Amino acid sequence: MTSQTITLVLVLGLLPLAAFGYRLGRNKWLAMSATPSPFVGSAGIFGWYVMLGALKPVLALNLLALVANMIDLFSLPGPILASISFVTATAGMAYALKAISPHFKAREAIETTIRRLLFVASLISIFTTIGIVVSILFEAIQFFRLVSIWDFITGTQWNPDDAVRPDGSIDSTLFGAVPLFAGTLMITFIAMTVAIPVGLFSAICMSEYASTLTRRIAKPTLEILAGIPTVVYGFFAAITVSPLVVQAAAFFGLEAEYTNALSPGLVMGIMIIPLVSSLADDVISAVPQNLREGSFALGAFPSETIKWVVLPAALPGIVSACLLAISRAVGETMIVVMAAGLQPVLSWNPLRGMTTVNVRIVDAFTGDQAFDSPETLSAFGLGLALLITTLCLNIVSLVVIRKFRQQYE
Amino acid sequence: MARGFLKVLLAATLFVASASLAQARDQIKIVGSSTVFPFSSFVAEEFGATGKFKTPVVESTGTGGGFKLFTAGVGTQTPDISNASRRIKRSEFETAEQNGVTDISEALIGFDGIVVAQNKDAAPLNLTLQQLALAVLAEIPKDGKLIPNPYTSWDQISPDLPKRKIIVYGPPTSSGTRDAFEELVVEPVAHKLGGYEKGYKKIRQDNAYVPSGENDNLIVQKLTKDKEAVGVFGYSFYEENQDSLSVAKIESWTPNMDSIASGSYPISRSLYFYVKNAHYDKVPGLKEYVELFMSEKMIGDNGALKRIGLVPLPAAEREKARKKVLGRVKVTKEELK
Amino acid sequence: MLHTDPQFYRRRLAKERLFRAISYTAIAVASVFLVFFFADIIGQSLTAFSQTEIRVPIHFTQEILDAPESAVDPEFAPLVSRGVLRLLPGELNANPRLLGTTREEWMLATAEVDQYLKGKPNRLKPRDIRTIERLQQEGRFRMAWNWGFLTRGDSKLPEMAGILAAAVGSVYVLLVTLAFSFPIGVMAAIYLEEFAPDNRFMQFIEVNINNLAAIPSILYGLLGLAIFIQFLGLPRSSSVVGGLTLGLMTLPVIIISTRTAIRAIPSSIREGALALGATRWQMVWDHILPLSLPGILTGTIIGLARAIGETAPLILVGMVAYIPQPASSFLEATSVLPAQIYTWASDSQRAFVERTAAGIIILLIVLLSMNALAIFLRSKYERKW
Repeated sequence: MTSQTITLVLVLGLLPLAAFGYRLGRNKWLAMSATPSPFVGSAGIFGWYVMLGALKPVLALNLLALVANMIDLFSLPGPILASISFVTATAGMAYALKAISPHFKAREAIETTIRRLLFVASLISIFTTIGIVVSILFEAIQFFRLVSIWDFITGTQWNPDDAVRPDGSIDSTLFGAVPLFAGTLMITFIAMTVAIPVGLFSAICMSEYASTLTRRIAKPTLEILAGIPTVVYGFFAAITVSPLVVQAAAFFGLEAEYTNALSPGLVMGIMIIPLVSSLADDVISAVPQNLREGSFALGAFPSETIKWVVLPAALPGIVSACLLAISRAVGETMIVVMAAGLQPVLSWNPLRGMTTVNVRIVDAFTGDQAFDSPETLSAFGLGLALLITTLCLNIVSLVVIRKFRQQYE
Repeated sequence: MARGFLKVLLAATLFVASASLAQARDQIKIVGSSTVFPFSSFVAEEFGATGKFKTPVVESTGTGGGFKLFTAGVGTQTPDISNASRRIKRSEFETAEQNGVTDISEALIGFDGIVVAQNKDAAPLNLTLQQLALAVLAEIPKDGKLIPNPYTSWDQISPDLPKRKIIVYGPPTSSGTRDAFEELVVEPVAHKLGGYEKGYKKIRQDNAYVPSGENDNLIVQKLTKDKEAVGVFGYSFYEENQDSLSVAKIESWTPNMDSIASGSYPISRSLYFYVKNAHYDKVPGLKEYVELFMSEKMIGDNGALKRIGLVPLPAAEREKARKKVLGRVKVTKEELK
Repeated sequence: MLHTDPQFYRRRLAKERLFRAISYTAIAVASVFLVFFFADIIGQSLTAFSQTEIRVPIHFTQEILDAPESAVDPEFAPLVSRGVLRLLPGELNANPRLLGTTREEWMLATAEVDQYLKGKPNRLKPRDIRTIERLQQEGRFRMAWNWGFLTRGDSKLPEMAGILAAAVGSVYVLLVTLAFSFPIGVMAAIYLEEFAPDNRFMQFIEVNINNLAAIPSILYGLLGLAIFIQFLGLPRSSSVVGGLTLGLMTLPVIIISTRTAIRAIPSSIREGALALGATRWQMVWDHILPLSLPGILTGTIIGLARAIGETAPLILVGMVAYIPQPASSFLEATSVLPAQIYTWASDSQRAFVERTAAGIIILLIVLLSMNALAIFLRSKYERKW
């Protein structure tokens, strides 16, 4: 009997059992009360109560067994687990049945169970965050045992390959992540110079100028941009935009590398336009109409109203949108993996090939180096840096937007 | 119904999760080197298309990443085969032993040559290993101490080389080609020149050496445009692009199938795969897959290996390698370094 | 009035017009990019949908059992795809009466021939090109609609490569993601909107969810690797692992959009239900959920569309691999559409470029129809209160 059959037996066995419990509970209540009180609940509620009474302990039991199995405490053979499950289910059902009396408020009892269940569901987000932090932190700590944090943050040489000396010691100065941070920043900066003006002006146009028809066309157009997967943008950046950039640069007598930082930056900027425009659109529409009307009444043109009234009022929201956009650009992986280079250089020239934090993370997981090498571990150090950066950006952005909302709502 | 249904669904999910802990598998799993990946998946495809077994899953995790998964333990959870562009290291083998992976066999499958390629229209280059190394070394010994590599033009290295700017598009640090390049070119030359610490193999990081991914068609585009630059990558990649590229001779040897297989061409490396002998009776088709992989049709003189641009072993070597892996000869710690 | 000076007015008007022009330009920039982008991708993909076939005689002899390429004349052998030749021994074994017979049929040509006839770069030898030109005059080539692209899985031979296995994988992953993130996301949103007390802890959860929505997807990959593969021991590359990883990523999107949908329902509905003696859950189940369902579904579809276009976290859980056969269970290794596109994009054989573009077209069709469905649902069922 494979474990999958056991699962099947268990699930298929529990279902009729639960249905049986439902009938038992319902019938017991019907038999007991000739004149049911409406505030106790309808007969079906008691059925549900018994059903839950049967399933709850089984769920707890299996959860326990699973956790025990995972942390290697003990492991129950499938058939045994299945039989225990059935016994517990029956016992739970009997217990729940016993509780039913003419004044028993099954509805409240169920309500409590549901409330708990919902609460647990909302906790999953916390567990996810903890999971992300933990899964990165442990290995990152291992990495920072080998390499000093200071060297990592301030060093300007990224050359992990040469970092392991022949005697096995590690030259921590060759794990300077500054060139990677610089590459990320450069590409983010280029992306922002595209995304913020275009996104912001699109939002202004749609909320202040455009006719209904234009808006109806423009909005989905921007949404399509948001719906294109990043791997597609990556392909486009590498196959189409990069050669164009090189040709354009050659036209101006400049030399560009095929893995230049400009092409992924530009394409990433386009990708982020809808994010900026929809967030900015939200905050601009949240600015109370009477502010605009006041300005128009004083004879201001729309552009003046926007510049002197709407934008200042919406500023916190726009700042928050920009921060989120930056966070998105910093975290974007596929475009840079496919279109940016692998060369850790410090340069102000966007036509040069650059590499970014995310590229190195992916590279560390697909490269050819030995697995216990500090280079693989460095991915977690970089992941930690990425996590902290985006975390700060997101939280600042959230705080700012909340302040903004409180102001006008 | 919704409430009860949700609970059952949840329970079922948990069960599937726990059930999978000890799950049987009818599909071969292969991980490892990105150099062997194209060939390995070719064999896998052939295996699936022509036989009664499922097509194996081949994942390109890099040699190191492959060994990490491969050595994690025995059982259907772990891969059956790991491809490698170098031999397994002693440290990796020790990890394997600790995790109970004691019985593995090694198969040498062929060679991968590293070439120095350039634009087809550029004047032919004939380099020695030393000249090549001097062009890419991070530091050069001068008057008894090391100075940062001053060479910007080939003729500065040796007057008989053309007056051409040094721009080398070479493999990035994470690539196996880089490892091989360092081990076969940089390290021996540094050792010969003297004045370096032991095992020195640093490559310069200025504009003269541009790390570029080997699977990247952009490197070819760059070379077709830039007549000064040279590219360093695997022979297979050069063969793909013979129409637009030419190769430099190294130590007067032109890289081709013969010179690489005979070992005359100095920059070549061996390719391997490792298989867990304990998995033969657990995973159906594993034996047949290994047999097909080692057959003449695949790694022979006119086999698929060659068509993919890798270089077959000489016939005698091939026979030896085949016997070794099919005879399930154990790899021992002593033979590794 | 101070500013009635016509000069000043004209300048203001000019500025107004400029500003307006700039704002329209912004939208134009985005639209022009979109047009250029689609034109480029579609242009690159078109050729992938037709495939060269060659009509050659096949001789069923004893030799083909060992060397399938000997079934065709040596002159043609380099032109016919190995993908069809290798099936001949099987056919002969199944039907021994074929031995000694010859038949002529349209067979798939190699990618090199295909690229040559499509006028693209190729690696054919001059001798082969001469053969091709001669055969062309004999009418031995034809361009056929490339069904194989939609009905086959990945292959190392570009002419054999298809999208099916990856598409099936995407469906599996989508189902897992949906089964995980939809119930949990909706439950969490209901709790936060209808049950949660207003305290610091709940505020923390709220900030946390908003933050999760903006965490880089690659970090979810590290999470999936650590939790589902290393801790839970689920099989690498399987759709369960990929689906759960993407499910965690989609969860905040679903929670946020569900909350928005629930919040849009006026409180009079809630008060009415409660006043009639319903418990909170009865109110939610009978009134809030049905009323907010269109909004919830819209958010879910958008979240799922994002999930199936995602690649970065899947690289880390091993889904970017060579997996040519469609998976038949959730625990089997599988690829997904974006992963397949990534694999092809990084292959050095040039014939894969058009395949990549064609794969992108398929993916975009799927995603855009999902988004269109979401927009349709929103406009059709959304109620303004």
